[in-house]
Amino acid sequence: MKTKLRSSFIRLAAWLAFLLPSLHADGLADARARYADGEYEQAAKLFEQVLESSAPQAAVYFELGRSFRQSGQDARAALSFRRALVLDPRFAPARAALEETNADLAIPRSPLTWTQKVLDRVPMDALALGGMLLFWAAAFLLAILALRRAPAGRLSVVLGVFVLLLGTAALALAWICDPRVSGRNDAIVLTTGGTTLLNAPADQSEKVAALPEGGIVKILSQRGRWFYGETGAGQRGWFLTEGIVPVIPPA
Amino acid sequence: MGGHPMRRCVLVFLLAFLAAAALQAQEIVAGLSRSTAAVGEPIQLVVTVRGARGADVPQTIAVNGLRINLAGRSTQFEMRNFKMSSTLTYTYIVVPQLEGDFTIPSFDVGIEGKTYRTQAMRLSVSGSAQVPQAVPTLPQNAPPLPGGPPPASSDPNARPYFAELVLSKKSAYVGEVVPVELRFYFLSTIGGQVGERPNFSGEGFTVQKFSNAAKREQVVGDASYVVFSFQSAITPVKSGALEIPSASLEARLNMPGSAPQGFDDFFRNMPIPQGMFSETQDVTLQTKAQTLEVMALPKEGRPDDFSGAVGKFTMDASVSPKKANAGEPVTLAVTIAGRGNFEGLGAPTLTGDEGWRTYPPSDKFRTTDAINFTGEKKFEFAMIAREDQSQTPAVKFSFFNTSTGKYETLVQAPLPVTATAGSGGAPATAQPAAPGSTPAATPAAAAAPDISAMAGGSASWKSLFFRKEFLLANACLGLAWLAVVLGFALRNFSASKAGRRLARKKQAREALARLRSVEPEAFYGAVSQYLALRLNVGEGEVAARVQNSGLPAEIQNALLGALDRFAESKFAAGGSAPPPAESREALLASLRQFDETLRDEN
Repeated sequence: MKTKLRSSFIRLAAWLAFLLPSLHADGLADARARYADGEYEQAAKLFEQVLESSAPQAAVYFELGRSFRQSGQDARAALSFRRALVLDPRFAPARAALEETNADLAIPRSPLTWTQKVLDRVPMDALALGGMLLFWAAAFLLAILALRRAPAGRLSVVLGVFVLLLGTAALALAWICDPRVSGRNDAIVLTTGGTTLLNAPADQSEKVAALPEGGIVKILSQRGRWFYGETGAGQRGWFLTEGIVPVIPPA
Repeated sequence: MGGHPMRRCVLVFLLAFLAAAALQAQEIVAGLSRSTAAVGEPIQLVVTVRGARGADVPQTIAVNGLRINLAGRSTQFEMRNFKMSSTLTYTYIVVPQLEGDFTIPSFDVGIEGKTYRTQAMRLSVSGSAQVPQAVPTLPQNAPPLPGGPPPASSDPNARPYFAELVLSKKSAYVGEVVPVELRFYFLSTIGGQVGERPNFSGEGFTVQKFSNAAKREQVVGDASYVVFSFQSAITPVKSGALEIPSASLEARLNMPGSAPQGFDDFFRNMPIPQGMFSETQDVTLQTKAQTLEVMALPKEGRPDDFSGAVGKFTMDASVSPKKANAGEPVTLAVTIAGRGNFEGLGAPTLTGDEGWRTYPPSDKFRTTDAINFTGEKKFEFAMIAREDQSQTPAVKFSFFNTSTGKYETLVQAPLPVTATAGSGGAPATAQPAAPGSTPAATPAAAAAPDISAMAGGSASWKSLFFRKEFLLANACLGLAWLAVVLGFALRNFSASKAGRRLARKKQAREALARLRSVEPEAFYGAVSQYLALRLNVGEGEVAARVQNSGLPAEIQNALLGALDRFAESKFAAGGSAPPPAESREALLASLRQFDETLRDEN
C-alpha cells in the first residue's frame, strides 16, 4: 500500500513538473496574444497570473507594464516598469517606458546618479560574485604570504592587498548600487490623485507635502494604518498605507 | 382690518416666495396671497418647494368655512453650468365660504422620504368683497427676475419644440469621419429639463461619443428658441446608401398653462414667477432620418503600407537624444496631425531600420475638438542601435486624402543621430525584404519574444547578498581560510623553539606512560630514552645531567643505577638481567618524582 502511494505521488510530482512549465508558456503566449489583439486589461490579468506562478522576469513585468499603460493605468504601469528595472537595471526599453509614464504622471525626472551609471554598465550579481572571488583569493594569498616560512616578496604583498581592496570595493559597490538592496524599502503611490505626507499620523495633522500618483517614497517604519517615510526630496512624514505598494513584492 | 396689515401680508407673501426662490437648500415655504378676503373671493395659498424634484402635498386642506383645493403644480428650472436646480410651486385656491377669522393649520409635505411641516396661516374673511388696494408694481422696463425666462416668443403659432440632424456632408468614403450635430430646439417660453445625451445609433456606421450639450438662443422664423446642440461624428463602415436613423432626446417640459379664475385680476401687475400655472409634459424630440452616400476606397494606387488612415494629415518627426551610448535607447517621435479617423490610425512604418532593434511604438492622441476629429497622434519608437548608427530609419505614412480622393504617402527622411552599438546586441542580419513587404515596427505579439531575449537580469527579488547559496559559499570559503591560517600557524609553532620543547615534553610524557607496559628486556633502554627526552639532551649526556640536576640523592641514585643497567645491557656480554617487579615499580616511582620535580622547576 505504501509503495503504491509513493509511486502515485512520484508520478503526480513528475506530471506537475512536466505540466507547469508548459502551462506557464501557454499563459504567456495567451497574454501576448491578448495584447496584440488590443485586449489590454485582459492581457494585464494574464501577465499577472504568469508572474504569480513563476519566477519573476523583467521581460514579463515590462509587458505587464505596457498592458497597464495601454489600458490607462499609468501608476500601475510605472510600478511594473520599476519592477522590471529592479530585476534588470540595464533593460533599456523598460527605462524608456518608465520615463515616458512618469512624464505623463507629472513625476519629475530624477537626475542620473552615479549608482545609475554603474547599474547601466555592470550587472550587479556578476559584480558581487566577482568581488567575492577577488576578496577571498586575496585573503588566501595574503594568509599564505604572511604565514609561510619563507619571507614574502614585497610585490606579492602589494598585489594581494590591492586585489583584496578591489574585491571589497566591488562588494561594497554591489551592495550600494543593487536596487534590490538600496530600494528594498521603496514603495510607489497607486492612489488615484496621489496622497498626502502629513506631519503626524492623524488625518487632521499638518500637511508636509503631496505625494503624487506614481511617486516613489521610502518607507522607514509603520504604525497601524500609517507609514512613516521619506520622499525623494528628503521630506519625512506620515501617510496612509492604503494605495502604497512596495516596489519589491513582499515574499 | 385696514390696508396696512393687508399690505404687510402681501409683502410677507412676496418675500416668502422670493426667499424660497433664492434659497438653494431643500426647504418649503407656504404663504397666502392675501391675509384678508371676502366670502366667495378666491385667494391663493402657495407652497414653494426648493431643491426637490417632487413633493407629496395634500389635495385638500380641511378648514371649516374655507374650501381649499390643490389647483396645480408648476416647476421652474434653472440651468447653471448644465446643472439644473428646480423650484416646485404647489398652488391651492382658497375660497372663503363664511365670515370670520380663520387659521389654516400647518400640514405635512413629504419630500424624498422626509416630512416637513408648513407654518400655520391666518386669514380674515369679511362679508363683502373687498377691492384690493394697489400694491407696488415693478416698472414696465424692469429686468426679469433672477432665473426668469428669456423674453417670450412673438410668434404664437411657433412649434414649441423640434429637433434636427445636421450632417457635415452628403457623401463620404468608407472610414471617413463625418462630423454631425444634433440640435434640439425649445421655445424660449418653455422651461424644463432635457436628457443628458441623445439616443443615436444605427447599422453601417460607428458613432463617436457625444460632446457635452452646448446651449444657445436662436431665432427661427419669428420665434425665439433655446437650442441644445450635441456634436459627434460618424464613421461609415460600408459603402452604399447609408441611412442615418433619427436621433431622439427625452425632455420634461414645463408648458405654459392658464391661471385660475380670479387670480389674474389680483396679480395682473405682479411679477408672477414663470411656470406658476404651467403643466409638466414628458416629451421625446426626434430628428428626421437622412441618407449618406458612402463610397468605397479605391483599390487603384493603394500603397502597401496603407493602414486605413482616412482624412488629411501631415507628419513631423524628431529624435532624442541625439547621441546615445552603447545600449542606450533612442526615441524617434513621429507626430501625425490633421483631420480624420485618428482612432483607427495605425503607426507609420520605419524603413532602413535593419541596424536598429526597434520596439512597438507607444501612441498618444491629443484632440483639439470635442469629437476626436482634429488633433495629433504621436507615436514614439524606442530603438537601440545594433550597429553604430549616424541616422535614424526613415518614416513612411500613407493615408487616403478625402479632399482629393487619392492616396498620399508622407515620407520623413532619416534624422541625424549618433548611436553606438550595444555591446550585447547581436549584429543585425541583413535579410532581403520581400517585394511589397513593409519593414514596419514589429507588431506587439511578434516583438514580445524579442523583448524577452533582450531582458536579462535576475530571476529573484533577493539580492545575491541575501541568497543562501552566496552566504553558504562565503561561509565555506571563510572556514577554509581559517583552516589554512590555523594550519600554517600550527606548522610554524611546531617548528619554533617553544613548539619543539612542547613536543619533547609530550614525547617524554608518552615515554613515561609507555614504561609501565614496556617489555622487561627493553625497560632500561626506555628509561634512558625517557630521560634524554625529558632533559632535552642526547643519550650520552643523560648521566651527567642527572648528576647535576640537583635532585634528591635517592632519586639520582635510582636513575643513575637504571642508566648503568642500560649501559650494561648494551655493552656487557649476555646483556643485563631484566629488573625484578619491585625494582621496576620503585624505579617508576623515582621517575615520576623526577618528572614532577622538573615540572615544578619549569
